[in-house]
Amino acid sequence: MDNLTSHQLEQLHNHLLRVGSSDDLTGELLDHLACQIEEVMAQGVTFEQAMATALDDANGQAVRELRETYQRAIAMTDEQLQQASLDDIVFEFRHKSYGAYQLRQAYPHTLRSSLLLSLVVLIVLMSFLHGFNNQFPLPSGGWLMSLSALGAAGIWWLQIYKKRNKTLAV
Amino acid sequence: MHMETTGNEFLRGTLKTIVLKLLAERGRMYGYEMTQAVKERTAGELILTFGALYPVLHKLEQDGLLVTESEEADGRLRKYYSLTPRGSETAIQKVSEFERFVELMQILLQSPPKVALGQ
Repeated sequence: MDNLTSHQLEQLHNHLLRVGSSDDLTGELLDHLACQIEEVMAQGVTFEQAMATALDDANGQAVRELRETYQRAIAMTDEQLQQASLDDIVFEFRHKSYGAYQLRQAYPHTLRSSLLLSLVVLIVLMSFLHGFNNQFPLPSGGWLMSLSALGAAGIWWLQIYKKRNKTLAV
Repeated sequence: MHMETTGNEFLRGTLKTIVLKLLAERGRMYGYEMTQAVKERTAGELILTFGALYPVLHKLEQDGLLVTESEEADGRLRKYYSLTPRGSETAIQKVSEFERFVELMQILLQSPPKVALGQ
């Protein structure tokens, strides 16, 4: 049996994208239609004719129906919905590995870390200038306390952040 | 009689059972292979369309009854499905439930015994 060339596969793939096949299904549909075309071609039909029949089978309406049935079958249950975050709901049936989903999930953490780090840097700078201007080698008690508290918090956050990055990398 | 998948309520309800049974026999199959197997065995009377098949396959995978492996074949990715241990149990259970259902349907469809009703 003759296999389809990469150019023919690309034609088929473009058709699927054009009729709005969802990401989860495109790969499998491509293989399915390619198998179908190859089988028809094995019976002596030209590629063009076989392709036309396959594309008619997988026309916009058929693919849309597939997508709808698929989403109904795979949709989150009520229980899952209650536990799902807004991100989970927005990204259901969407291409999660593309990157936006991860960015959104990491966002609260990034925000907290950057806020904390900038506060620490600010206070360090202020206490430094304070000590410098007053010619005192040590900042006053209040400064010292807030500085050490923020420093400790900063270190704590950095540790969590490192751990998190490690788990993400694995 | 030609029973198309789309719109056939009997087939729609038994698709899961068909898929589980096929995989229990063959071990590992991809989507197109399943449609061909059904077509060959029923001499072309039952046609599974991709529109009905793939939602069921993905649902069974989500429920933990199937696992998938992707392999490159002829320059494209082919996704093979096979049963998990829980899937094998479900396959046996579903098939026997369905056999029982068919028996009951046959009883129901036979012409009723001629007795006077409500007298």
